[in-house]
Amino acid sequence: MMEKLYLVARIADTRVALRSRAINSVVTVGTPVEVPGAPPHVAGLFALRSRVFTLIDPHVVIGLPAVPVTPGQRVIVVDVAEHGYALLADEIEDVCFIEAPETRITGKLLPGWARVAAATIEHQGASLLVVDPSNFITLPTLKAA
Amino acid sequence: MGRTGTAMDDLLNDFLAETAEILAEAGGAIVAWEADPADRAQLDAIFRLVHTIKGSSGFLALPRVTALSHAAEDALDQVRRGNRQPNAALFSGVLGILDRLGDLCTVLGKDGAEPPGDDRDVIAALAVRDASAETLEVAGVPLRRDDDLNGELQSWRSIRVPLPLLDSVMTGVTDIVLARNEFARMLRESGAEPSVIASFERLSDSIAGMRQSVSQMRMQRIDKLFAPLPRIVRDLAQEMGKKIAFQTSGGEVELDREMMENIRDPLIHIVRNAIDHGVEALEDRVAAGKDITATISVSARQSGNQIEIEIRDDGRGLSPDALVAKAIASRAVTASEARMLGLREKLDLIFRPGFSTAAKVTAVSGRGVGMDIVKANVEKIGGIVELRNDEGRGLTILLRVPMTLTIISGLMVRAAGQYFAIPRGAVREILLESGDTVRIDRVGGGELATVRGEQYPLLRLEAVLGREADDSDDVDDRALVIVRPGQGQSYALSVAAIHDHEELVIKPAAPMIMATGLYAGTTLPDNGRPVLLLDVQGMLAAAAIDASEAGRSHDRMAEAEAEAMAARNAVQLLLFRDTNRRVRGVHLSVIERVEEVPAAALFESAGRVKAQIGADIFPVHAVTPPAGEGTLKLLRLYDGQSVLCYPIAEVIDIVRLPEGVQPSLAPGLIAGVVLVGGDPVELIDPYWLMEQYAAGVPAGALRQPLCRLADDDDGWGHNFLAPILRGAGYRVVSAADAEDETPDVILCLTEGDACRQVGGEVPVIRLRTSVAAAGPEDETVYRYDRQALLDALRRQVGGERG
Repeated sequence: MMEKLYLVARIADTRVALRSRAINSVVTVGTPVEVPGAPPHVAGLFALRSRVFTLIDPHVVIGLPAVPVTPGQRVIVVDVAEHGYALLADEIEDVCFIEAPETRITGKLLPGWARVAAATIEHQGASLLVVDPSNFITLPTLKAA
Repeated sequence: MGRTGTAMDDLLNDFLAETAEILAEAGGAIVAWEADPADRAQLDAIFRLVHTIKGSSGFLALPRVTALSHAAEDALDQVRRGNRQPNAALFSGVLGILDRLGDLCTVLGKDGAEPPGDDRDVIAALAVRDASAETLEVAGVPLRRDDDLNGELQSWRSIRVPLPLLDSVMTGVTDIVLARNEFARMLRESGAEPSVIASFERLSDSIAGMRQSVSQMRMQRIDKLFAPLPRIVRDLAQEMGKKIAFQTSGGEVELDREMMENIRDPLIHIVRNAIDHGVEALEDRVAAGKDITATISVSARQSGNQIEIEIRDDGRGLSPDALVAKAIASRAVTASEARMLGLREKLDLIFRPGFSTAAKVTAVSGRGVGMDIVKANVEKIGGIVELRNDEGRGLTILLRVPMTLTIISGLMVRAAGQYFAIPRGAVREILLESGDTVRIDRVGGGELATVRGEQYPLLRLEAVLGREADDSDDVDDRALVIVRPGQGQSYALSVAAIHDHEELVIKPAAPMIMATGLYAGTTLPDNGRPVLLLDVQGMLAAAAIDASEAGRSHDRMAEAEAEAMAARNAVQLLLFRDTNRRVRGVHLSVIERVEEVPAAALFESAGRVKAQIGADIFPVHAVTPPAGEGTLKLLRLYDGQSVLCYPIAEVIDIVRLPEGVQPSLAPGLIAGVVLVGGDPVELIDPYWLMEQYAAGVPAGALRQPLCRLADDDDGWGHNFLAPILRGAGYRVVSAADAEDETPDVILCLTEGDACRQVGGEVPVIRLRTSVAAAGPEDETVYRYDRQALLDALRRQVGGERG
């Protein structure tokens, strides 16, 4: 059943369905600590329950200009390769089971989205991009390498 | 790998982990037993270990392991029953079986199944009863098998816990501590009732206790690290035809498990080196008049937050000259560089990459990887390697490592408006950028810091990080941190301000952050804001700066050396603002440290002010304890025996003591006045200060030379000279005083003939009133030339006493 569970959120100005398997929780952050010299999609560091998390700005991953972090902003906490990350979310809508199958992406996406999106899915009369949240974290690194 | 976890796999993994430990322990125990075959306790211990392997392997259906352990158990049991003598064949046979068991376990760990094969060779080797070998008596009555039960019960008193579980407990407790801190703050702010606060305190105490227990859970006795060493020494010594007595001590010292993994290889490497290179061949030992049997000892001890592991051998030690010759031959250094090296730097050559001290590369330790790797590995975990060489008599290598891998002592600095941590171990010195020992030059776009004649490339932390300096930072706060990232490298890192030292729990940062090369990890101080730990080596690469010390300021090297030497010899003066706002100075060498204590720590007792610092009470140089709240700073003066605290308002700077001190006439708190940067500074007289608070050394404990003043008609000697002499450690009597004791020296205060008749056996120093001497033969001393007078006194008194 976990495969059918999605987090519907607005990320980088786009409504997407995030596969929930890697998602740990949704929390709010204060002012993050900057990391000078880090790649542009790293928005900073913040602490949560004595762990340090790396804040990722999906806007930059998609190719949009970075947005400043506002205190109290909601972020999606994910674990990738034993490190904790958090994705800045514009808006968290819902966690829900979507029974519809994932379908292959048809049509042309922006190059940024084309890299991270895995599929599309029908939800409440709208087509949403299906994204594995870890793509926001690992893909920019691959590109840099 | 890749297999799904089943209950059987868990059992197998437990078995493998346990067996690896048992094999290491048994190897050491057999070597010890071999050294003393009458040691019944060792035999019993080995028997139980082998028995445990047999028991668990039967359960897991591992026929080869069972057969091997059964054979060893059987042979050992024969010895226990007195049916077989412990001899060389038995020891080697059992060791052979243990080796085979180790090989099998390695394959088991990889494939998850026992490989097919035949173990009859090693079992047969054990079955051979070598009659020709000398037989050894086994003392004691054979015990019955029931006694084994006790040993097994012992091992059941502990359980195996996976490390991730321990880590999660640790994280949980850290969270509780952070939540407690926040809760404590809220309680304070809300003005809660005392009863609420009291029960919160109770909770707080038990949390602190729990935090301690949890960190102890990750600790293991260092015994485990030492366990394989006796076997290694035995085998290697046999192979090389050397006789070596091996000892370990301090096995009860505890160390973080992960830390242990990291020092295992360096430790083994050093021990192998000691056997291979350190210990001489038998005939050389005889020629050197040493015992044929060499001693290698490994000992551990805890010192504060660190563990010291000492590996000592009584071999030939390191020869600095041979090291230099070798380094030149292998082109690690040039001949001219070699001449500049001090003794310590010569010894440190063995840490150069690719350096091997043996005349020829041997199969044992000269394999191109050497002490440089050892050093790198130890430094990687925040430790240091120290050499204590006694040429011809042995070498001691000291590994000093933090008790846990994840906690390091860090220096917190600020730059571009945020905090960063620097590993304390890499920091050599901290200076104020505006201090007068520092000169900063802009050279062709780069910057260079000159500190007491030594040049360092200057890195500004903001520039390295690609940030602008924060305008709100005070320029006067800017500090230089002299960083030594590795052997033979150093640079000056300029930061906006120094914050403090903290014990930091370091966690690795996300890969994309580590990839910048600027950071070594992240840490979370008590305020809950993450802080990045700087990678002192990586920053060099990022800034593309050559920080190698070799050949730095080449033409000025001799000059710099002389200047540095002068600086080392020069007295350093600590400038501070006294509690009465006056600027005063005191010799830095008498200051043990500067302490900041709450005002409440000072109290009055029996008319004297005392300070409580930790569990100690020290006298304070003050008339009354300070009134009011807040904290105050105390200089801790230490004379090698006792401590005196001197309250100050603030520390200003450390400068070199200028020449031209105007001494004060009477001994007292102020020894004199000196100009520092054009302003007069009063110098504190630590000698006088300590004297006021000294516990009182019994009279006569120190014989002070007796000095008699002759012809002191006008009282000048009594009034002017005597205080100086007393201050310099002489007892002074005038001619009028009764003489029971022959003086050590007589000071003649007039130029007349009045004291011609005095003297005889006693040396006489004559003083004159004119500044200029009468002629070259004039041995009189001008009476206001304090130094010449004291020198003359020392010459006379010292000369007579030989």
